[in-house]
Amino acid sequence: MTATAILFATTPSEDGSPSADLRIGDGSLLTHLLEQLDSLDVRRVYVVVRPGYEGIVDAASIPTGVQWTVVGSASAADDLQVVADVAAKGRGRLVLAMADVLTHREALAGLLADPRVVTGILATTARLRSSWTFRTRSVRGRIVSAGSLYHQVRRANAYFLGVLKVDERDRPVLASVARELAALNAAHPTQWPARVEDVQRRWRTRAVRDHLVLAAADAEAAAAIDLEGIDVDAFPLGDDVEARLALRRRVSENDVAAMVLVGLVRSGVHLTNSYLRRLFWARPLSQEAAANAAAAMGTYDEDKVLLASAVKANDGFFTTYFVSPYSKYIARWAAHRGWTPNGVTTLSMAIGILAAAAFAIGTRPALVAGAVLLQVAFAFDCVDGQLARYTRQFSKLGAWLDSVLDRGKEYAVYAGLAFGATRGFHDDVWTLAAAALVLQTCRHMMEFSYSASQHDQIAAIPMLPLDQPEDRILPADLTTPEDASSVEQVTDDQQSWGQRALHTAGRSAITVSRLLERRRWMRWGKKIVVLPIGERFALISLTAAIWDPRVTFTVLLLWGSLAASYVLVGRILRSVA
Amino acid sequence: MADTSALLAYRDDGPLATVAGRILGSTLRLPAVLLTVTGAVPLVVVLAANDGINELALGLATGWFVLLAGIASAQPHTGSLGWLVPPMLRAVEYGYLLRITVLSEPNAVPVCFALLAVLAYHHYDIVYRLRHQQISPPMWVGALGGGWDGRLLAAYVFAVAGGLREAMATAAVVLAAVYLVESTVGWLRFSQAQRPALYEDEQDEDE
Repeated sequence: MTATAILFATTPSEDGSPSADLRIGDGSLLTHLLEQLDSLDVRRVYVVVRPGYEGIVDAASIPTGVQWTVVGSASAADDLQVVADVAAKGRGRLVLAMADVLTHREALAGLLADPRVVTGILATTARLRSSWTFRTRSVRGRIVSAGSLYHQVRRANAYFLGVLKVDERDRPVLASVARELAALNAAHPTQWPARVEDVQRRWRTRAVRDHLVLAAADAEAAAAIDLEGIDVDAFPLGDDVEARLALRRRVSENDVAAMVLVGLVRSGVHLTNSYLRRLFWARPLSQEAAANAAAAMGTYDEDKVLLASAVKANDGFFTTYFVSPYSKYIARWAAHRGWTPNGVTTLSMAIGILAAAAFAIGTRPALVAGAVLLQVAFAFDCVDGQLARYTRQFSKLGAWLDSVLDRGKEYAVYAGLAFGATRGFHDDVWTLAAAALVLQTCRHMMEFSYSASQHDQIAAIPMLPLDQPEDRILPADLTTPEDASSVEQVTDDQQSWGQRALHTAGRSAITVSRLLERRRWMRWGKKIVVLPIGERFALISLTAAIWDPRVTFTVLLLWGSLAASYVLVGRILRSVA
Repeated sequence: MADTSALLAYRDDGPLATVAGRILGSTLRLPAVLLTVTGAVPLVVVLAANDGINELALGLATGWFVLLAGIASAQPHTGSLGWLVPPMLRAVEYGYLLRITVLSEPNAVPVCFALLAVLAYHHYDIVYRLRHQQISPPMWVGALGGGWDGRLLAAYVFAVAGGLREAMATAAVVLAAVYLVESTVGWLRFSQAQRPALYEDEQDEDE
């Protein structure tokens, strides 16, 4: 499926020329990006430039397969009008990017070629200290708020990296949002100047702090810096810092990708993140910065980074430390032999069935063999996902197959153990096996339901007008009681004593939970307690190999009940908070 | 939009629960969680008894639960604790099937295990299809399974009248065939149609 791209070569660099024209290697940032997009099936490109800079697009350096147009545009408002026009008239997917983005091809491929991201952005959760990019907030994988020069984002948890993919069916919304933003940019609404002033004061405050930290005698003095009583506006910062602050404002004014993102989020478009993983990303604004960035990017071992990134970020303890460290190499080996993720999933299931059969024999050697086979099956279970991420072969069918066969494997093993207990130990544990199945299924159903209700709540978040800098409904805008209840800050006196107590309990639980996140071992502890699949399979293997199936099921039931209660109480407290 | 009906689809209601909800749902406007818990308490008490099945008490408790949890099907599940209802239905349903098998025909527990595995497959399938395909399994599949309400009453009848083992075995075989074939066909058709996905919930992969 081919795509169209709109690249904004409108960001000024330090000397005023477009930053997209900064040199790297034997081309510019713009031509570098064009080549990457060409290799990702982008066939039609609009390059938006400020008047006088049409020449930065050098026909000779554009890949031959790409049909391109240079569009002159005098302002951000005009840029947005270009977006509106292109979105309204064409077909297919649309890519919007700041033309000075320098990143690995794989980072772009992660966004453009991943079918799981329908409409979404390139993002990172890693802290970008010196970058001037705007931030976003995501809940359960969906972007619920985004920032721009004119739009605030509260409780941000990721950075927008200047590249946006819009699916064909979201193009009409994009067109109307871009038109609206164009109008707003042409005649700033009354709330915007105050917002811009506020943002600039924050940038300035940070610059003052940085200045004082640099001037501080030692770390202790630096930590003791207190901006209270300092007139930030009048603080002498030096010409170069003042110039950078002014440049930052101009860069932000031209960051139409961020504005479009805000528009799409506030129109209820379902946007997801494609993460940078550990790849390189930068938006250089001077020739020196561009050269440094290109050099830094060159030091990356892209394959190594990709393989490391193929490991799922929030896996359990056992999986992270005892399986993924070697399973990723199996994934690479499988990739080089052309294995598909679905093939590996099926293989894992087959090994799981063998494990269940071995358990069913019920003798000690058979139980040990079953335990080992189950671990092999689990390793391949991790390999399939890593292979999919490494080779970017995602499919919905694969996700389903993986989930269903995971359950199938586990419950087949339960049945195998129950057979084995009868045969080898003359012990009827079928009731325990069935209870373990019931417990595990109900725990999953609790997860699913909780997740579904979270999605319902996200969908119920009211749409905010685009001229409003705040990313929440202001109490003054609330007219009906139903509106009021949907906002977090309901005044306390409207609630009964019982409700207040519940809220307090819920909030305390959230605070305690956050406190527990502070230490690494506590984070892992929290994860191990809930007995995720890796720990569960390890527990089955260990107890079955050493003792007998009755011990396995007893431990599974006891630990599982404890985990279920812990999760249940936590979720209920969160729900009432 | 699939999002709003996900919790309702997870319930897996049968005709009885739906009818109870339709007739009495507007009269008895109480939170779904409250109705379900109130319905479950007598059932849990009766099932916790260790001295076999008291037919009358179990019958009444079963009917009471089907009635109240059925009425809950017509209530919104959007309250802050609405998400508790579907897992509670599963816990009661599976626990009920297992417990009355243990009480009335202990040697049928392996058969009950098989039936539970088949039902679990169906319930996972509802979730995964909604999540990835934005659709629920077809109506007739739900109706054929009888819903949690139908299964509870059927299990009660067979436990009292005899033949629970055979009934469970038949149900396990028939439902396994229907669920597996129907869902596999549905998934293959879906993957060929290549409909774009809507969301991938990363945090929930932690299974």
